[in-house]
Amino acid sequence: MSSSAVALEVELERVHPAAFGWALACCGGDRTAAEDTLQASYLKVLDGRARFDRRASFRTWFFAVVRRTAAEQRRRNALWRLWPLSWLGGAADGRPDPAAALAQSETTRRLVAALARLPRRQREVLYLVFYQDMSIAEAAEVAGISVGTARTHYERGKAALKQRLEGERE
Amino acid sequence: MSERDDEELQERFAALRREHTIAAPVFRDTLAAARSRPHPRARRRLGFAAGAALVLVALVLILTVRNRHRTTVDLASVRVHAPTDFLLQLPGADLLRTMPRLGQVSFDRRTL
Repeated sequence: MSSSAVALEVELERVHPAAFGWALACCGGDRTAAEDTLQASYLKVLDGRARFDRRASFRTWFFAVVRRTAAEQRRRNALWRLWPLSWLGGAADGRPDPAAALAQSETTRRLVAALARLPRRQREVLYLVFYQDMSIAEAAEVAGISVGTARTHYERGKAALKQRLEGERE
Repeated sequence: MSERDDEELQERFAALRREHTIAAPVFRDTLAAARSRPHPRARRRLGFAAGAALVLVALVLILTVRNRHRTTVDLASVRVHAPTDFLLQLPGADLLRTMPRLGQVSFDRRTL
């Protein structure tokens, strides 16, 4: 194995836990879909379909790869559901994994439920900023949007999330 | 929104991150599973072959059904009658088509 391939693997291993959390966020909490997305993303990186051009940090770049891969899987699953033989199985339904939901504490379950009701962009930016400790500029790079748009999604998302969490508390 | 709200959100997200970290699959297992996946190009080729086979079967079925319901027409035996054919019928045209016989009056008085 070449030294660059080894270096890539080391980088992937370093971001693996955070990437899994991000994949879960991109797949709406569906663990199977998240694992599938992560595997497909690793394969893209290792076989050179996704190339790290060092314009951003490895983590920011790889998270963008995961986000794109999750979107591709979603489209593929939506097409698969239109196929007459889709009842034979194969495509993830995009719903949160029941076993994972049971294992969650009450606090995190509330947070996940409130996040699930936010628009996708707002949810993504909040995940990247609060969960992944990224700056808004980094979150914008991962989400493929401008910093101004990311900031708007961040502010609106935060206000909506706070409102929903308070609403559940009452 | 106050800083306290931000801190509360950060705490909630940190708790979620801790749970996800515990539940995350082992990196080596994920990598091995990724390597054992069929390459997308191979999958695309398989999909293309399956699609082509499906189109072929559909074509054969369509042609079979169409041939079964087709009625054969013998063009040599077909006579087309145009609605204006009567205009070409001349008075006394029968006289031209029939062979006259000796001793037989074959024409109509009305034609005289």
